[in-house]
Amino acid sequence: MLICESYHVPKRLEEALALWADAPEGSRLVSGATDILPWAREGRAGDVEIPALIDVTKIPELKGYSCDKGRIRLGAATVYQDFLTDRTLMTNLPCMPYCAIWFADDQIREQATVVGNLVNASPVADGTPPVVALNGEIELTRLEDGAVKRRTVPVVDFIEGPGRTTIQPGEIATAVTVDSAYGYGGSFQKVGQRRSLVISVACCAALVRADSTGTMFEDVRLALGGVGPRPIRLRDAERRLKGERITQELIQRVAESAADSVGSRSRKEYRRDVVVNFVRAGLEEALANQPEIGAKFKNFGETENA
Amino acid sequence: MPKIDLTMDVNGRKVVKQTDPHKRLLDFLREDLNLTGTKEGCGAGECGTCSVFVDGKLVKSCLMPAAKADGAKIETIEGLARPGSLTPVQQAFHKTGASQCGYCIPGMVMAATSALRENPDAGIEEIKERLGGNICRCTGYTKIFEAVEIARDVIAGRLPETALDEDATGESFIGANVRRLDAPSKVSGRLKYAADIKMVDMLQMQVLRAPMPHARIVSIDTSEAEAMDGVACVITADDVPGTDGFGVFVHDQPVMARGKVRHFGEAVAAVAAEDLVTARRALAKIKVEYEELPGVYAPEDALKPGAPVIHDYAQDNVIKHIPIRKGDPEKGFAEADLILEDVFTTQQVEHAYLEPEAGIAYVDHDDVVTVLSPSQNITHHRHMLAEILALPINKVRFIMSAVGGGFGGKEDMIYQGMLALAAMKTHRPVQLNFTREESIVASAKRHPSKVHYKMGLKWSGEITAIEFDMLSDGGAYGMSSEGVMRKAAILSCGPYEVKNLKVDTKVVYTNNTPSGAFRTFGGMQAQFATESMMDMAAEALDMDPFELRRINMMRIGSRTHTQQELTTASLDRVLDAAEAASRWEAGAPKVRGPRRGDLGGPDTRQPCTLGARIGEPTVTPTNDERVAS
Repeated sequence: MLICESYHVPKRLEEALALWADAPEGSRLVSGATDILPWAREGRAGDVEIPALIDVTKIPELKGYSCDKGRIRLGAATVYQDFLTDRTLMTNLPCMPYCAIWFADDQIREQATVVGNLVNASPVADGTPPVVALNGEIELTRLEDGAVKRRTVPVVDFIEGPGRTTIQPGEIATAVTVDSAYGYGGSFQKVGQRRSLVISVACCAALVRADSTGTMFEDVRLALGGVGPRPIRLRDAERRLKGERITQELIQRVAESAADSVGSRSRKEYRRDVVVNFVRAGLEEALANQPEIGAKFKNFGETENA
Repeated sequence: MPKIDLTMDVNGRKVVKQTDPHKRLLDFLREDLNLTGTKEGCGAGECGTCSVFVDGKLVKSCLMPAAKADGAKIETIEGLARPGSLTPVQQAFHKTGASQCGYCIPGMVMAATSALRENPDAGIEEIKERLGGNICRCTGYTKIFEAVEIARDVIAGRLPETALDEDATGESFIGANVRRLDAPSKVSGRLKYAADIKMVDMLQMQVLRAPMPHARIVSIDTSEAEAMDGVACVITADDVPGTDGFGVFVHDQPVMARGKVRHFGEAVAAVAAEDLVTARRALAKIKVEYEELPGVYAPEDALKPGAPVIHDYAQDNVIKHIPIRKGDPEKGFAEADLILEDVFTTQQVEHAYLEPEAGIAYVDHDDVVTVLSPSQNITHHRHMLAEILALPINKVRFIMSAVGGGFGGKEDMIYQGMLALAAMKTHRPVQLNFTREESIVASAKRHPSKVHYKMGLKWSGEITAIEFDMLSDGGAYGMSSEGVMRKAAILSCGPYEVKNLKVDTKVVYTNNTPSGAFRTFGGMQAQFATESMMDMAAEALDMDPFELRRINMMRIGSRTHTQQELTTASLDRVLDAAEAASRWEAGAPKVRGPRRGDLGGPDTRQPCTLGARIGEPTVTPTNDERVAS
């Protein structure tokens, strides 16, 4: 069980940063708390005694989202359920609803935050690939001589390995800023031990925008999770698709070449198969999920889930 | 630790309370406010028995620190309807019988209520999706989904309120919605399970469990734990006053490990303290010295000469062997045109009832040691506990609390003895609530089994002989193993008349988690082997699998494997009904080609595919939704 000496709910960012900077060793930041509570149980961390828990979800600056110059700043208190209820987020971040619907369940999604998911830096975090595909940058905030200082780091560089990030002592992740992908089709592929309420073995996010005739790839974004210690952006695959005519053969060829991106040591052959199928299915579904602007490429035949 | 002040609106009432900073919203509701309709099934956000509304959003209260809900508006199962009344959702659950053990039902009602609040027109796929965070083990989802659909239509005015009334039943209850007498107490969260009950001056118990599967206990030092403030007592096997040992058939299991541990997670010592945190901290202070022993983890290894002996009384590690002989198998196989042989294995299975084990013990004013728990076998437990405590039977009493699912898993007295000892030692009520992890590690499982099967058949399909040899893993203690082997033997060759058979079912000790009672009690393992063999035989004989079963089925006048002459038999009608209902494509298995036409019909359940609410894949955006570039 999780035992803490104190539980702080700061209402101002400066207050949270000061508490965090002065927190005794072993203290933790809490966002949704959906990961820390199951962690402190038998079979994982067991009984854990923590000096202070600092809850950052009641800080106004961390709530909600804002839009500027084609980018969307998601406050750290943004929960996964928002991607299924907020029309602006659904249309501008079209891969997120598909990620969210397979993420835990409605109730956990009401609490679990995207930024918390990123900071935990699990190699199989569902949130990482779609955020990486959206060119996500995490915002890290600290106090320096009493002043609030911010820096941003691309998520693809922020996560260094399982549970390891470039966050520094005293820093709080306050937001993640992502591209608006308005007009793109999005999709999310995931496979785990079972279909529902389960952590991924591997996952893939795709974003696609075809040209006005619906026959050419105008832009493509592909990112993988669970196939290595860090998130993977398939830049090479994206380059090979962009500006090309949309054909089943091209999709298949590019999908097969993605198998080499698997860096995991365990179940490597399985993961290579999964990646090939995920990239293909991800592209096909993202194409099919494009909003009604212009013609769509349809001739996919039967799609199989991996 | 310093307390924190919390203010909430709970079910329309303002609540101001001091509590511990580590408490989850679930603990605050159950312990500080006595709102026990919200249950703890797993504590890890998997099961949904703890679902409550926080500021209008349904969340799992086991994943929410109480302090996070400070200032929030909370709605629990107790707050949905005025006292004495039920909401349409609750009435619909009552109507369809959607409450068996009832432990998941408060959470299910909350999830159903949330689904209809979020989308009053939710279709069945969306309802399933929105209830996806809540698990049920015994009611079954069909009745629950039916209830939600009825409630939805009544709330929307598409169905009259009378649709919530009890269904009229004709001559048969089969196929009709039947109300359960105890449903109102379950759909309203008012029914108290053992973990929901509080007694004045009650202590909390926690159990120290073995970290290895087979070891001699060299020493146990409880002095540091006993010296802690707030610790009322620490108990070990040394505290047992009578003849230690329980079990459904053989009393081979001590209340707590005595001299050695035989499986991972076996109880070694227990603490009763003023509160849970103190009890947890005291466990860490108990020092146990173990000398690890070689273990046995496969039933085949347990039978090898020189295998480690797990119980002194059973030097061969055999718990029970049940042989059945009928006719002359040798002659039967000689007459066969075709002999098939194969091996069928099944694995360990956890019952996973939503209610983890829980109980309270106290010594009453007449010195009667009383244990309240969801035991599935209280009379037998009472007799065994009297021996263990060296008390006359009239000084031991068992009360069966509401059982939040059992399936056989609550037949074994794995914790009631510890509660009784602590109550006797302290003369205070003592409560022990298992965590889900503890329930999985310490409770009995379905027997893993391996069946060597040999079947002789004529070309006509007639079975001429069967040799059925089952070896089961009984784990560290006997529990229900003997009964499970008897039933497996009796049902071994299925509902088929076999003139010549040789059946052996054997169960052995290993250092795995004990196996015990579980729905079908050995029948499932045997039928998996027999029915698989029948299908394989149909393929080998180029015969319709239904036809093969009709040729061999028991009829009136047949003799069973144990030589009972049947005066009634219904397998012919069962096969006819199953064949029709499944839209079976007649013929030998191979005639169907790569695709069967009888799969995936209108009344089969499709796998879950989430995303119903994302709706049409094409979102038609409006201009104001576009983020300016």
